[in-house]
Amino acid sequence: MRKYNAIDSINKFIVYMIFIFISFCVLYPLVFVVSAAFSPGNGIASVNIVPFADGFTVKHFLKLFTQTDYPKWFMNTLKIAIATSAITILISSLSAYVFSRFKFSFKKPMLMSLLILQIFPSFVGMVAIYVILLRIGGLDTLWGLVLVYVAGNIPYNTWMVKSYMDTISKNLDEAARIDGASHFRIFSQIIFPVAKPIITFLGITSFTAPWMDYIFPKMVLRSPENQTLALGLFGFVSDKKNEFTTFAAGSLIVAIPFIIFFILSQKTMITSFGGAAVKE
Amino acid sequence: MKTILLKDGSQEKKIEKFACCFMGLSHLLFLKDYVKGLFFALTEIVFLIFLPSIIKMLINLVTLGSPMPNVPIKQRDNSIFMLIDGIIILAVVAIFVIVYLLSVKSAKSDYKEYCRTGKYKSTKESFSLVAGKSFPILGLAPAVVMICLFVIVPLLFSVCVAFTNYSSPSHIPPNNTVDWVGLQNFVELFGSEATWASGFARVAIWTLVWALAATVTCYFGGLIVAVMLKESKIKIAPFFRVIFILPYAVPSVVSMLVWKNLLNGSFGPINRTLIQLGWIKDIIPWLSSPGLAQVVCVLVNLWAGFSYFMLLTMGTMTAVSQDLFEAARIDGASKFQVLRYITLPLVLYQTMPLIIMSFTHNINNFGAIFFLTGGNPTVADSTTTMAGGTDILVTWIYKLTITLLKYNYASVIAVVIFIVLAPFAIFNFRRTKAYKEGEV
Repeated sequence: MRKYNAIDSINKFIVYMIFIFISFCVLYPLVFVVSAAFSPGNGIASVNIVPFADGFTVKHFLKLFTQTDYPKWFMNTLKIAIATSAITILISSLSAYVFSRFKFSFKKPMLMSLLILQIFPSFVGMVAIYVILLRIGGLDTLWGLVLVYVAGNIPYNTWMVKSYMDTISKNLDEAARIDGASHFRIFSQIIFPVAKPIITFLGITSFTAPWMDYIFPKMVLRSPENQTLALGLFGFVSDKKNEFTTFAAGSLIVAIPFIIFFILSQKTMITSFGGAAVKE
Repeated sequence: MKTILLKDGSQEKKIEKFACCFMGLSHLLFLKDYVKGLFFALTEIVFLIFLPSIIKMLINLVTLGSPMPNVPIKQRDNSIFMLIDGIIILAVVAIFVIVYLLSVKSAKSDYKEYCRTGKYKSTKESFSLVAGKSFPILGLAPAVVMICLFVIVPLLFSVCVAFTNYSSPSHIPPNNTVDWVGLQNFVELFGSEATWASGFARVAIWTLVWALAATVTCYFGGLIVAVMLKESKIKIAPFFRVIFILPYAVPSVVSMLVWKNLLNGSFGPINRTLIQLGWIKDIIPWLSSPGLAQVVCVLVNLWAGFSYFMLLTMGTMTAVSQDLFEAARIDGASKFQVLRYITLPLVLYQTMPLIIMSFTHNINNFGAIFFLTGGNPTVADSTTTMAGGTDILVTWIYKLTITLLKYNYASVIAVVIFIVLAPFAIFNFRRTKAYKEGEV
């Protein structure tokens, strides 16, 4: 028995070593960003290789809010994210309900095409999207970008919500129908609330995606007052200039809410991921 | 003309004939269903009113306009507008044809209904029926319109452009027109233009290697960490889990740009640290030597991607029924045997669709390459093709479109990606429960 314990503690020691090594790799760039955000230098070359060795300053944060359009980028991105999330939820859940509960012609080919369309990266058709937006006056507007995002979100999300709704018992809507409820009432007052877990998930994923998308904002938004965060932050570390510390400060402000949210919701994510895989 | 219908079902042919002649004619003449009849008839009338311009647009789609060097630029034919308008009109015509087919089908089924009940539907009945049936149509309409306009039309457009000469310098509207060239672009990219063909082959192979390596490293990295977290029984496992989730929580643009700066050859902190420690004498060209840059791409992607699979496998492992483990333990299986013969096969089976999804995602993983290396370093064919040593097909498409304005080649590559990826999507579709149970 004692011998067994010895092996066990050696194992534990090895696992600890591995975990500490991985943690070091994971944390190194993150700690570096935090220290760069507060260090007085400007470019990546001037940042000390030992984190926090250069001293402490908040001047990059002040610069972001006084000398750049950072607040504006932030608001634009927030507006885009909220609109994308809300419209995606509305359209996807409604069509998912129709796919889940009604029989109609062309249902199978439509479902099949949803799944095939979802693998096609939407920016491959960017020339066409550019011309279409040009024709409907959506270039250089936030709503044009929202339209593009929503359309890209619909195929996969509709499929996902539909799979979830298939697992909701049909007795629920039968009963409501006998009581004389209309289709829309059944959807909005019975199915939608029951499908809340998947719809929350959908809302969160479609809310987070626009924050860091780069290609479509680059293509659609031209004027400086319509920029988004990703465009602005990328501008700090483009080939022409390297303001790594300002970039780090700006990134920190965006990343911190994300990180807090992820850490708080990790338990829920583990179960929902497991559920999603098992439901196959 | 006699418009009284026999109830023995013998006049189905006549109903069909009239329904085919003009939308809704049978509904109006014989079935006395004015609600549906008027709706269908109006649809056809609107279509007929716009028919001349529809035909003009379709002709434009075929010719793509003619060059007019003597006219001011603004009045010249714009082939790209013509192409897009033509495709949108094709979609409208397709929808019209579908509605037409549905109207004939509806006339036939309404006639059967009439034979069975022996009476016409009242306007009120018809209204409530239409209202009931219109819910699925109204519910799907926004999704269908959005998908048609921003997904299907761009897709068809890309496919069409692959068969045109839409490219810089001599075929860019509005100055010049674009023409159909058949398979010429495919021939050029797959062989006849040596530099382009070799560039394409190089990028395509690297794309596959990259997607495979990225998926495999992230999947097994995540799996191993998840198993160790679960089995090792160390007290502070939740603490490590929080740390390991961090890369997933950081937006990927940020993490890629940070890595790009950390790995910078001469200013990058990693090289400076290694030199300070005395481990190396000269700088390591992390991102500027082609082979090393490729390895670095995969490793950085592992940093960013293992958390996702760690969460995924942890979720699947907790969802596996505890009875299985119980049974194995009673049968005297060792810890390792349980892991090897029960946990791993189950996890692997259940995460299979997600592995495939992740593979297709990595083939299209624009951000991981573009923000880390921008496709650099340059290699032999880069001056012509713009494709660098770490460029994958999608980042190359981006460069071809934005910088080189070679839309035709970009579209050919997009079509190739689509053809390669579609079977994976269909495979996943066939595995779903809904498909297996014949629900769809």
